[in-house]
Amino acid sequence: MHVLLVEDDHLVAGGIVAGLRLHGLTVDHVASARLAQSALATSQFDICVLDLGLPDQDGIVLLTHWRAQGEEIPVILLTARDAVAHRIKGLLAGADDYMLKPFDLDELVARLHALLRRASGRTVDRIEHGGLSFTASSGEATLHGAPVDLTRRERALLRALLQRPQQILSADQLRDSVYGFETEVESNAVNVHVHHLRRKLGADVVETVRGIGYRLGKLAAGPGQ
Amino acid sequence: MSLRLRLLAFIGVSLTLLWGVVAMWMFMDIRGELRAALDDRLAASARMVAGLVSQLPPSAAPVQGQRLPLLDMVARDGLACEVSLLRGEVVVRTMAQTAGSPGLADTASGYGTYVFGGKPWRTYVLVQDGIRIAMADRLDVRETLLRDIALSAGLPFAVALVFSMVLLWFDIGRGLAPIERIRMALAQRSLDDEKPLPGIEVPAELTPLMATIHHLLERVRGVIARERRFTDDAAHELRTPLTAIKTHLQVARLAVARPQAGEVLAQALSSADQGVLRLQGTLDQLLLLARLHGQPEQVPTDHAEAGAAARQAMDDVRAAHETAGRLVFQQLQPGRVFELTLPGALLVCALRNLLDNALRYSPATTPVILRIEYPGNGRACFSVLDEGPGLTATEREQAPRRFWRRAAGAQQGSGLGLSIVSAIAERHGCELRLLARETRGLEARLLVPMRER
Repeated sequence: MHVLLVEDDHLVAGGIVAGLRLHGLTVDHVASARLAQSALATSQFDICVLDLGLPDQDGIVLLTHWRAQGEEIPVILLTARDAVAHRIKGLLAGADDYMLKPFDLDELVARLHALLRRASGRTVDRIEHGGLSFTASSGEATLHGAPVDLTRRERALLRALLQRPQQILSADQLRDSVYGFETEVESNAVNVHVHHLRRKLGADVVETVRGIGYRLGKLAAGPGQ
Repeated sequence: MSLRLRLLAFIGVSLTLLWGVVAMWMFMDIRGELRAALDDRLAASARMVAGLVSQLPPSAAPVQGQRLPLLDMVARDGLACEVSLLRGEVVVRTMAQTAGSPGLADTASGYGTYVFGGKPWRTYVLVQDGIRIAMADRLDVRETLLRDIALSAGLPFAVALVFSMVLLWFDIGRGLAPIERIRMALAQRSLDDEKPLPGIEVPAELTPLMATIHHLLERVRGVIARERRFTDDAAHELRTPLTAIKTHLQVARLAVARPQAGEVLAQALSSADQGVLRLQGTLDQLLLLARLHGQPEQVPTDHAEAGAAARQAMDDVRAAHETAGRLVFQQLQPGRVFELTLPGALLVCALRNLLDNALRYSPATTPVILRIEYPGNGRACFSVLDEGPGLTATEREQAPRRFWRRAAGAQQGSGLGLSIVSAIAERHGCELRLLARETRGLEARLLVPMRER
């Protein structure tokens, strides 16, 4: 899951980034509404954690702007302000959820997963695809009932593919989902992870769409077929 | 006592007194008139009897004990009459008298008042052609008559008075209705009602009261809004570092459970530490501000010395800031020692906050100057000058507000520094001015009243 964190307080942002990464999520952090705008324009994010008190623009104004533009990314608001009016305004402006600071990191992660699940039309945490069963929140995968050992990057890649089963995702989009804005990424890093996934889950798990990118492949439902 | 009762008492007592005096006056007047009229009747009756007696033929002249029919006529009116024959001044013989006559032989001529048989009588004696005619009527009968008149005139008056009290009671109630309407409108308001008071029709006398109430409500609303903003801001300022601490501690807990996460753990703990320091700083500033606001204005018991306070503030700031090496101290007219009308600890606190701001918001390579001047108007001038980005005119105006921070820039201050300086200045007759420097940066000027030692 590729998370965009918009938070102006560096100390708080540092904690959230470290925490989400430890939970296996890919996080990019920006500290202003302007940077959030350009991050969203240039990269593929699954979900956004938005602080309401930004230095250059109110978070609600930014959110309203996004929604007016047709941006559908699920947004969870963070606010340290007491007034209920703030939260109501945020939800009315198009937020999907909010959390009051100080919050519990585990709860934030759980809510992120729940929001994403709802956004992709699922009601349970587990994604079933052929013989593959994937728990979105923990990243645990089983193939025909047998657990499969995946690395953090592989999980991120598989999650990205499973969340958009019909969509063709470019190598750049997948790289963002796996690495975020990390700059020192080998150009063929996604290829390598796709290769590993195919080795662990079967060659059909990822389908290459030549010249465009990758798509979730068709997996046989039963073992040995 | 209710306004209604009070009004009723005032008006009621005044009305009763006024009408009482008028009634008394009328009563006295009527009594005088009545006496005169009854006296006149005595005299007229006497003259009538005299006229009749003189016209009687000598043969018909009354003799002793004889009843004269005409006297019975007089007696019907409640009068007593005696007709006597005179020789010289002496009554020779009573010729006739009415039945109830008390014996009027000894009464003097003209009007007189006598007591016969324990009852007061009014008498009139007329002497004409050797015949003496004495007329009398009873004074107590007269008084009864007077009492009857007073009673029949006074009763309607008393009834009217009672009715006017009742009318007054209702009319005052009606007159006070606008006040009751205002009371109801005020009573129905909740404390955080944002709407203005609904338009109430009030008489001209109550318009100023309404205006005052509106004005007061406006001010109360302002104060509530300010306090609400303050608690909201305070919640934000306290929760943000708390969030940082909590999040980093949770990261640390997650990191402990994982192999090779030593670096993450160390980073998380150090960040949590930073969060604690920030929370502590904000809390200290908030408490200081609360103490300043809670204190009544008072005459300081200790007086700051300008140079010493400045040096103390700079020492404090040096201990807290890594870049405090760029502090420059300028004291113009250093030879003179002034005593400031401000407690030393507060002056140090104010200067420390100004220096802290200047160091925080200006580039680490530029100097920050603390300058003391004596412009000569009985005030010492402390200036803190930096070469940072400065503030616009609007920002300079807003800056002393609690939790105000410049919108842009990554600052770590509590947003309370200038509020504290401003609160100190306000309480001790000082003045805080924020000015734009000619070239670049901000000048914070604190003017403190002083006297030379």
